Amino acid sequence: MRWGMVIDLKRCIGCYGCQLACKAEHGTPPGVYYARVLKKEDGEYPTVRQFALPVLCNHCEDPPCVAACPTGASFKWEEDGIVDIDHDLCVGCRSCMMACPYTNRYFNDQPAHYFAQGMTPFEQARTERHQHNVVMKCNFCRDRVRAGKLPACVANCPTTARYFGDLDDPSSEISVLIKERGGFTLHPEAGTGPAVYYLPP
Amino acid sequence: MAEISAKYEQLIHDLRQDFRPQREWGEGRGLFLVIGHFLVGVAAGAWLFGLLFDYPPGLFAGFLLAGIGGIAHLGFLGRPERFWKMARHVRTAWVARGFAGLTLFLAGAALYLPPLVFTAWPWQATSAIGWLGWLMAAAGMIILIVYMGFVYSASKGIPFWTSPLHPLLYMTYALRGGAAALLVAMAMLGVPREEMAQRLITIWIAITAFVIVIFILEMQGVLTSGNAAARRSAREMLSGRFAGYFYGGTLTLGLLVPLALLSGKLVPLSVAVLAAVGLLSALGDFFMKYTTIRAGIYAPLELRPVRMR
Repeated sequence: MRWGMVIDLKRCIGCYGCQLACKAEHGTPPGVYYARVLKKEDGEYPTVRQFALPVLCNHCEDPPCVAACPTGASFKWEEDGIVDIDHDLCVGCRSCMMACPYTNRYFNDQPAHYFAQGMTPFEQARTERHQHNVVMKCNFCRDRVRAGKLPACVANCPTTARYFGDLDDPSSEISVLIKERGGFTLHPEAGTGPAVYYLPP
Repeated sequence: MAEISAKYEQLIHDLRQDFRPQREWGEGRGLFLVIGHFLVGVAAGAWLFGLLFDYPPGLFAGFLLAGIGGIAHLGFLGRPERFWKMARHVRTAWVARGFAGLTLFLAGAALYLPPLVFTAWPWQATSAIGWLGWLMAAAGMIILIVYMGFVYSASKGIPFWTSPLHPLLYMTYALRGGAAALLVAMAMLGVPREEMAQRLITIWIAITAFVIVIFILEMQGVLTSGNAAARRSAREMLSGRFAGYFYGGTLTLGLLVPLALLSGKLVPLSVAVLAAVGLLSALGDFFMKYTTIRAGIYAPLELRPVRMR
């Protein structure tokens, strides 16, 4: 099996709910965004449109970040295709950040907090498990998925613009959506085989 | 806190841009990586020419520069205490190959060099251990000359670096740096043979000409058939934020001034001129690497096959 995600750009309203749900789930520090939302414009006058483009790690079939990692800290789980990081192995060389065509990796270089008065108890509880001076990225909420839940960004999307399922199963909801609605990936020319697909806006 | 905040604000600003500059390699502690790459390249070149000219000071210079370059690399790493883990993924990662090459080079040089200085050393340079050191250092040298450009060309996120000519360009920088290091070493320690200095200058000019040709071809490729991010990087380098470093450091200090000095029209040729040519050439190469790295821009995330419905 291979976990994948489909994001319906016609449904996405750019509310940043996915970004915040991800922040709450993983307690990522300032400057680290496993999921984020870009605002884009497309077309030419008079047929122009503004739309939101949610981005996250693409959990590629042939991930260049894994090939570029000198320690094996970046790796792909054989059983479900999720690309993950073993932070105990990461040396912080950041070659994976340069190798990723989707710029969805972040370097957590120092303890940081969101508020001027210092770290809140919530931040402390959520961030103490994170290592510093290592690279961080989305892991499709693997712990949640293994517990039978949806990734936080999918579960919390108010417009149900995100779908999660098995790409290897041709009858899964995401495989059908990709086939029927012309799902496409970002940077197909990179040849990495992303597991995140988009439906046209 | 202010520093963290400034960095955070910078990142947020960068994330909002279509053309997001890479800052991890080359900015802040990232400068150590540029220094490390530069020194290790020069070290490998110095070792090569030290062997070719049978000039031990070139070998010692190579060993010293590689050691300092290795320390600079450690200074760049987020977790330097785990450096030894970098040998785990040699099969696919160019950084791991570079680490293996540097280790091989330093270990080999540490075996080969001491008997050249200390006559009472437990083994001789021509003994089995000496030869083993020579072979290890030579293998490490080849890896160090070759690997660096591939580290960049394997970085799919930065289209400016993925030119197929990039590895060749870095190989020629290593050779030019090695020739420059030997020129400086000869100026400091004396010219052993007159014809050696002349041959080295000829080699330096030939490599420099080759670097110019490769660089022009690479830029031409980027500007005519590169994607938008690669073209933007080239513009940053040639007419943008890093143009000062390129024209002032690489072109003027690293190329025009050394050529003017070697022409003999400004000042008569002397060992001091050789030292100046070597130092300026190396400085120019450093600026070249610095600007190339700093001009790196991530490929923008955009929808190509969008169909308006």
